[in-house]
Amino acid sequence: MPESSGSIINMLEAGIRAEELRQRTIAGNMANVETPGYRRADVRFEQSLAKALKSPGRLDLDALEPEVYQPDDPPLRANGNNVSMEAEIGDLVKNSLRYSTYVRVLRKKFSQIEAAISERT
Amino acid sequence: MSVEKVFGPVDISVSGMRAHARNMEVISSNIANARTADAGQGQPYRRLETIFRTQGEGASGVTVDEVVQDNSPLQRLYDPGNPKADASGYVSMPNVHLPVEMMNLNIASRAYQANAAILRRYQRMVETTLELLR
Repeated sequence: MPESSGSIINMLEAGIRAEELRQRTIAGNMANVETPGYRRADVRFEQSLAKALKSPGRLDLDALEPEVYQPDDPPLRANGNNVSMEAEIGDLVKNSLRYSTYVRVLRKKFSQIEAAISERT
Repeated sequence: MSVEKVFGPVDISVSGMRAHARNMEVISSNIANARTADAGQGQPYRRLETIFRTQGEGASGVTVDEVVQDNSPLQRLYDPGNPKADASGYVSMPNVHLPVEMMNLNIASRAYQANAAILRRYQRMVETTLELLR
């Protein structure tokens, strides 16, 4: 039992870390919205997590690092920049919703543990 | 349900915002070139029109399919002093009509706002659901 609850907390922690990295990446993209030749960056995490969850064997969360990559979206402007303010804002909204979901579930988990500790006979 | 589908409304409203921002770009090009008598090959500027298309089947976002030229007749302006005037004193001017463009601009900015409102509303909806996790 402690093993499984630990794995949930670890998984949430990995998710929160990934969302933090993505938040920084989006901020970087938005800061460079007018930089000539800038290519937007994104974070790959959910796909690798889904793949790791499907594969048999023990889930090694330490090996599952969020990874910054450059998607090959076509350039939007003549200067080679491919940052769309609207798309970044959409990503930001999705990111913050995922982040608060993880934090809420984490808090719920901790309050369950706390309830288990304080229920003494 | 896949991870990406959960936030479908976000992607759809973002696609709307992007498409209408692109449309606004086209409209501003039309307005800026309303009096451009030479758009390259000695011909007056022709107004551009944005064609939208759905991104897929069923509930889906929108994308700008293409930006096409409006081939309606050019305006003829009587200006005998103009070096570009023809024998009868008329100059060909772009087929841009400012009142039409201003109306399209209104539509584009309202459509953009509507998509942004959807995005905000959806965000609040998900936050309401998350409140239940307390």
